[in-house]
Amino acid sequence: MGPVQLFEFASRQAEWLASRQAVIAGNVAHADTPNYKAKDVVPFARVLGRTQLAMGATHASHLQGGASASPEVEVKRDRAWEISHSGNSVRLEQELIKTGEVNRGMSLNTSIVQTFHRMLLTSLRSQ
Amino acid sequence: MDPLMASMKVASSGLEAQSARLRIVAENLANSQSTGTTAGADPYARKTISFERVLDRASGSELVKVGKVGRDRVPFRVEHRPGHPAADASGNVKMPNVNPLVELTDMREANRTYEANLQIIRQTRQLVSMTIDLLRS
Repeated sequence: MGPVQLFEFASRQAEWLASRQAVIAGNVAHADTPNYKAKDVVPFARVLGRTQLAMGATHASHLQGGASASPEVEVKRDRAWEISHSGNSVRLEQELIKTGEVNRGMSLNTSIVQTFHRMLLTSLRSQ
Repeated sequence: MDPLMASMKVASSGLEAQSARLRIVAENLANSQSTGTTAGADPYARKTISFERVLDRASGSELVKVGKVGRDRVPFRVEHRPGHPAADASGNVKMPNVNPLVELTDMREANRTYEANLQIIRQTRQLVSMTIDLLRS
């Protein structure tokens, strides 16, 4: 059942990439907000090693404890390139590099899924 | 809310905040010569803008919004112009404390952040279309 597991991995990575994009968007939007500290999500390798269980909800207003999004962590002071006088640690260049990384990751992810999907279809057709 | 849609929302709040900043810059530059009309009256005082974060409950992400628009308390420039309607008894007129150089720098910076937010929107749209393309194979 190799390929099926691969699809699961791929969808988890796509989820992680999407959450990372959301965090980067937040950083860029706050590029000029005083005292804003740049954030990043935990690396995918660590997300993959942890099983996340969704909490049961018995009421519509119960919050899901972030079962889908990976938890955000603050970027440490030494990871940020520069901290401006207003206490803001967002560097636009750094953020744009990160969004390039996300884009590349998503492109790799979707082409792998596409290839495996084609493979499955080929094996179905040969019957 | 889907994280990709959330990032679109966050980036558009960034665009909104930066365009408000550009509006303030435009107001300051347009009023850089606006004096008072009565003798010894205060001229236009430069406006300042600051941003703050606000939690969007629908997506759980932090949007940016325009905080307080304040007034710059730098003392006004004084020019000697007897005969001006705003001149005091010794012929001095208070001019606005707008420095075009500072305003243009501010404008440049707002422009840069606006472009960065646009780039995020562009990238996010690409991510969405890459995902949708999966259905097309």
